[in-house]
Amino acid sequence: MAPPPASPKPGADPISKFFASLAAPGQIATFAGESATLRFDVTSGSKMQHWYLTINNGSVSITRDNSPADAIVQLERPYLEDIVTGRLNAQAAMLRQVLTVDGSMAALMMFQRCLPGPRGSTGRVAPISSQTVMAQRRPM
Amino acid sequence: MSDQLVQILEGNTFVVSDDRGDIEASRTDPTGLFSFDTRFLSRWVLTVNGQRLTALSTDDLQYFQTRFFLVPGSGTVYVDSKLSVIRQRAVADGFHEELRVLNHESKPVDLTLRMEAGSDFADLFEVKDALKKKGSYHTAVADGNLVLSYRRDSYTRETWISSTTPAQLDEHGLTFAITVPPHGEWSTELEVVASAGAEDGSTSGPIGIRGDGHRHVRQDMARGLEKWLRRAPSVECDWEAVERIYRRCMTDLAALRFSTLTMPGRSLPAAGLPWFMTIFGRDSIFTSLQALPFTSELASTTLMALAERQGTRIDDFRDEDPGRILHEMRYGEMTAFEERPHSPYYGNADATALYVVLLDEYERWTGDTKLVRDLERAARAALNWIDEYADLQGNGYVSYQRRNAKTGLENQCWKDSWDSISYRNGDLPGFPRATCELQGYAYDAKVRGARLARHVWKDTALADRLEKEAADLKRRFNRDFWVEDGEYFAVAIDGDGRQVDSLTSNIGHLLWSGIVDKSKAKAIARHLLGPKLFSGWGVRTLAEGEARYNPIGYHVGTVWPFDNSFIAWGLRRYGFRDEAAAIMAGIMEAAEIFDGRLPEAFGGYQRSSTMYPVQYPTACSPQAWSTGAPLLLLRTGLGLEPQGDKLIVDPALPMRMGNLELLDLPGRWKHIDAFGRGRVDTDRFTLR
Repeated sequence: MAPPPASPKPGADPISKFFASLAAPGQIATFAGESATLRFDVTSGSKMQHWYLTINNGSVSITRDNSPADAIVQLERPYLEDIVTGRLNAQAAMLRQVLTVDGSMAALMMFQRCLPGPRGSTGRVAPISSQTVMAQRRPM
Repeated sequence: MSDQLVQILEGNTFVVSDDRGDIEASRTDPTGLFSFDTRFLSRWVLTVNGQRLTALSTDDLQYFQTRFFLVPGSGTVYVDSKLSVIRQRAVADGFHEELRVLNHESKPVDLTLRMEAGSDFADLFEVKDALKKKGSYHTAVADGNLVLSYRRDSYTRETWISSTTPAQLDEHGLTFAITVPPHGEWSTELEVVASAGAEDGSTSGPIGIRGDGHRHVRQDMARGLEKWLRRAPSVECDWEAVERIYRRCMTDLAALRFSTLTMPGRSLPAAGLPWFMTIFGRDSIFTSLQALPFTSELASTTLMALAERQGTRIDDFRDEDPGRILHEMRYGEMTAFEERPHSPYYGNADATALYVVLLDEYERWTGDTKLVRDLERAARAALNWIDEYADLQGNGYVSYQRRNAKTGLENQCWKDSWDSISYRNGDLPGFPRATCELQGYAYDAKVRGARLARHVWKDTALADRLEKEAADLKRRFNRDFWVEDGEYFAVAIDGDGRQVDSLTSNIGHLLWSGIVDKSKAKAIARHLLGPKLFSGWGVRTLAEGEARYNPIGYHVGTVWPFDNSFIAWGLRRYGFRDEAAAIMAGIMEAAEIFDGRLPEAFGGYQRSSTMYPVQYPTACSPQAWSTGAPLLLLRTGLGLEPQGDKLIVDPALPMRMGNLELLDLPGRWKHIDAFGRGRVDTDRFTLR
């Protein structure tokens, strides 16, 4: 098994930062009318940390208390750091089995909707001319 | 190799074997046991005393169950066998195979049965593109199971094979040393489980999801199919082929049902069997629209499933934008390692507008305003995408250009092959491309979005704005896309604002969307049924006479039944009753010849020159939107149109239909029967 990616410098905690940003007022417009609680079991060496992400009728709160969850998401800390910073796609991580889900897949889908895209994605690309297309393609 | 058979279960687990039930796949050969886009068995070969078997017959019991009758021997000479072998296979999370050996002699017989088993764990994309694997293989025999496994980092896929009667297991298969009594029988049951390799191989499913239980139960499948057919409206017609076509369509639609991991127990239409058993935004939406008069469950599940996965961010690799509706979802190894963008991939420019169209059409049939309210966020995001993200040229038109130049899709409209969009002289335009039907869909989405905003979301300001934008789009479109010297709409506007001026079937979709000025509609209908586009069976994708026209070119001359069903709807919308009936006649007659199962496409040859429609070779059958085409044609033929709590019936049917009755059509009117009598002489179009 490949080693998990290296952690960033101490002091920066992208996971706490990400969860805090989710709970900030006005941040999330993607959860109208939906509710779910996800528990994240995040391992780092022998330590395990929990986060609870609760989406309640569109508003998001983050706790670290023990409460019942619709889905339990387990993964190692460096992978979660990559996911919340857009370096790793959560669905791909699940298929690769670095992230496992127990419970509601619909809840995981809600979580995925608030993740950032990959760094460097601009949404723009230079136009291509007809001449270029014709040069790349075989003639009739 | 022998004839191929495909058997399927609801969902995306399927087996392709030869007519003996054997699987001998090569790296690029599409046979095997597949689940979630991964091949879990590439070798599954039965021998008796070292001899291969010969098929006497094969019964497709259900779409998820097949029975093979076999005798030992090569089959090259007449066989008077003293033995029969029966394999009965049903697909579940993997498959279940009952193996029976019958001794027809009056003395006992000793035999060695051998089942060879192996797997290459290929991703469907690897099968398609002949790519090499990057992980490692292991085989183990443990606790009565033969476990084939594949690992790449933490990615694990396993195939667990076991037998109810003891077998001698080795790394390449199972051996049974048996004695079959005189006129007696020996049997065993083999279980093949596709797994993601959790500690208990049977519980984690093929991609490692626990909870929400997506295990399939065979008995439920059979009952489910019966119930599905019983609940569907019934069709009676003097032209009895219509009843057969209808039954075939509803059965195929049942086989195409697909449950997502997030909504077990609900189903949406996958795109096609077997290689496209997954969510495709465009295909699922079009098929749901076609099937709406007969079943609304496909539409509601499609709407919910696509909303769950609606784009929320900018991701160039996946061509994702906020509000964009997905194109295709995959679960294999290459998707897992982000070597392919299908997690999901968003590269289409039509499904987002069509999403709003389906939501409105669904409400008009069902009156289910609750779902329209639940999906308000998704619908608003979709409408927003049209203006904020799809106008790549800043000219007020929806355009597409892939941002993933390596594995993204070049043509992000339904005609998605590389040469589908061309000028009359055959040159291909640059990018971005604004194809015409995309503008029609955007127009329709705004008009329908306005209706939902006004009546359901109670947002008058949004409704007013959308109506104004729609009117403006229509005005500009009729000016900018109109090809003066040909009197039709250009297939696209290129990156320089120039018309891509070939004559295509796309103009029929424009009628369906309602974006065509009334004054121009007659010319469009004349083209659609004219000699360049209409073959006698249906409307060609590209008109005869255009440089790239080829009657067996995928999107450049073939006739697509799905395309034609929407064109017929469009013709009805503008009052061209006879023309719509002519398309219905042509496609239904083709469906009769194809035994009720329309292919994805057939040749664009003139009907009088071939007599029979020539099937375009394709690995995928049934195809969802071809399956839906006769359903939509029944709707357009009878002129079914919801209006408030009533269903308007206004038939314009081909004469040869005689009497047509659709009984128990469900909808906001509870149930209603619709009748029509064929009065349109369509021969003047089809027998030209």
